[in-house]
Amino acid sequence: MSREAMEMPPKGGFSFDLCKRNDMLVKKGLKEPSFLKTGTTIVGLIFKDGVILGADTRATEGPIVADKNCEKIHYMAPNIYCCGAGTAADTEAVTDMVSSQLKLHRYHTGRESRVVTALSLLKSHLFSYQGYVSAALVLGGVDVTGPHLHTIYPHGSTDTLPFATMGSGSLAAMAVFESKYREGLTRDEGVKLVSEAICSGIFNDLGSGSNVDICVITKGAKEYLRNHMLPNPRTYISEKGYSFSKKTEVLRTKITPLREMVEVIEGGDAMEE
Amino acid sequence: MGDSQYSFSLTTFSPSGKLVQIEHALTAVGSGQTSLGIKAANGVVIATEKKLPSILVDETSVQKIQILTPNIGVVYSGMGPDSRVLVRKSRKQAEQYHRLYKEPIPVTQLVRETAAVMQEFTQSGGVRPFGVSLLVAGFDDKGPQLYQVDPSGSYFSWKASAMGKNVSNAKTFLEKRYTDDMELDDAVHTAILTLKEGFEGQISGKNIEIGIIGSDKVFRVLTPAEIDDYLQEVE
Repeated sequence: MSREAMEMPPKGGFSFDLCKRNDMLVKKGLKEPSFLKTGTTIVGLIFKDGVILGADTRATEGPIVADKNCEKIHYMAPNIYCCGAGTAADTEAVTDMVSSQLKLHRYHTGRESRVVTALSLLKSHLFSYQGYVSAALVLGGVDVTGPHLHTIYPHGSTDTLPFATMGSGSLAAMAVFESKYREGLTRDEGVKLVSEAICSGIFNDLGSGSNVDICVITKGAKEYLRNHMLPNPRTYISEKGYSFSKKTEVLRTKITPLREMVEVIEGGDAMEE
Repeated sequence: MGDSQYSFSLTTFSPSGKLVQIEHALTAVGSGQTSLGIKAANGVVIATEKKLPSILVDETSVQKIQILTPNIGVVYSGMGPDSRVLVRKSRKQAEQYHRLYKEPIPVTQLVRETAAVMQEFTQSGGVRPFGVSLLVAGFDDKGPQLYQVDPSGSYFSWKASAMGKNVSNAKTFLEKRYTDDMELDDAVHTAILTLKEGFEGQISGKNIEIGIIGSDKVFRVLTPAEIDDYLQEVE
């Protein structure tokens, strides 16, 4: 711990040290490892009493579904949640890190975290990595100043919106929002609209699928509805069951134990230490 | 840190084998306001006097008992500003532990890391030891725990302890009153009585602070109203 006093201040930002080496390896024929992306449809909208966030639950690795039921709505603070699209590791690490920073900030100030604080911390981190941290986020929450909803792009730019969508399924979801969104929705109407938007992404975008997760945040309360809708259950199970053709006949059985079982009698002639 | 003219350690050994600066730090602690902690069977209580330099000071703005994690709290005796630095570092360390291991930091680990920081300042160039002793109260899987950390960086687990002015009277009082099967409420009463022993003036919810943690593993500081209720029960 005494090295802390001697260490240089952290340089921050992306270290490009290994890029030349990587280029050389690719030229020599090495296939770059692919990373787990969340194809994703993530949405958020502001309703009468707060914010509703929604997300699908499919994580893809190229053309393969890596996780059929992953969690894309991340906890930031008791009153702030963040949906993440892009590289799964990046979204998880960045939301985890900012959640940690917000917690320390809460201890120091003794106050509830504000959405703009989370926003500023996230955007400054993403900007310093010049878009290499591939995390596209929908950040929503309710604090003392009211309900807020923001989108954050991998390069660090942000938008403040009444309704927002991100990810590969964002166009499908946005189509639903643009036609059906209006101000002053009730909670049930809002949840229904968000579910519809996510379902639109699930069914029309290959990168999104499986179930719908919803998070409703209001002043002083939050509801995390994990797997609120399951529109893709495993429906086909053969009624006949599965049978297997006749096995080969057993002619002889012989069991050879690998180690002889020896009974040990305790006490008696115990050796002196 | 390296180039300064004063980059030698101020804590150098005396011929008798003592570190004089640490002795002086302990004196600074000994002249601070009394604080104490009691470990009950189902929780821990920590308490301190909150004597303000003048009646003009807004007592609601002063909070001596601080929360480090949801299940660990701390009180100090000695120099307030030094304790603030330690509280800040401890909170950060607890949070870093949580980020790495995804579990709340055990009380012993946090105490160990805080003690390591305090020790660092007795063996580095150009710094002085912290002028505070801390009482760390926490409740984790191992049950209720109470630790005292000194300016030297040494720490001990206590069933009940006191620090600051009037420490010997307070400790004698606690020795007489402490029982292993005490409940948290009894411990709070005992803490109040111990503070009352050496208190100059009228004791009230405004000039003492009490922090408790029970089997719900949530550390909280009692409000002045709650302290007044306990005071009435004691009388």
